[in-house]
Amino acid sequence: MNLFRSEEHVARWLGDRPPGATIGAALLCELAHAWWGDRLAPDWRPRTRDANQAILDGLGLTGPFWRLPLPAS
Amino acid sequence: MQALDLDVRNATYERFVALGRAPTIREVAAATGRDGDAVRASWRRLHDAHALVLSPGTDELRMANPFSAVPTAYRVHARERWWYANCAWDAFGVCAALHADGRIETSCPDCGEPLAIEVRDGRPDREDLLFHCLVPAARWWEDIVFT
Repeated sequence: MNLFRSEEHVARWLGDRPPGATIGAALLCELAHAWWGDRLAPDWRPRTRDANQAILDGLGLTGPFWRLPLPAS
Repeated sequence: MQALDLDVRNATYERFVALGRAPTIREVAAATGRDGDAVRASWRRLHDAHALVLSPGTDELRMANPFSAVPTAYRVHARERWWYANCAWDAFGVCAALHADGRIETSCPDCGEPLAIEVRDGRPDREDLLFHCLVPAARWWEDIVFT
């Protein structure tokens, strides 16, 4: 999970590896605040898989790449 | 998650921020009034629950996400202190967790060019940089250090 100067730098870094997902720094910052903003709260509780997925979905991070694993049944 | 583990987890994070580094088992034991074995057992359960990450084969903290207990390529200056983050996502996460403005310093993994971003009021001062996530979400925790 790295920051790059541009798409060109991502592609060169990847080489023959299949690409993952690329988003801009502004969206990443928004995601980070939604994901980690509660981490030091005294009443912190573990977030459910569905709550985590809702954060991704709410920011438009949808599709198979962004699907979190379902809990083992 | 049982109350004991939540207590240990919260004390671990509180100590991490207060000390500016990963706390030891002894320090968390002192903060919670529990013995070291109880904290160690809690840390292992919290690791299994993905609530923190221990270094492989040890009882030492590797991550209290988004904070890293070890030096990484992502340094964040916030609340008048330098922190290490586990990745680019976590670098912004340090500012988010601390509810503070900050400065992220890293370098492009491709060319090594130094990169710096200021985060003010929850927004980056530059939007030209790109975040690439190589591993799909379904596999993030298969090897969280690699992810």
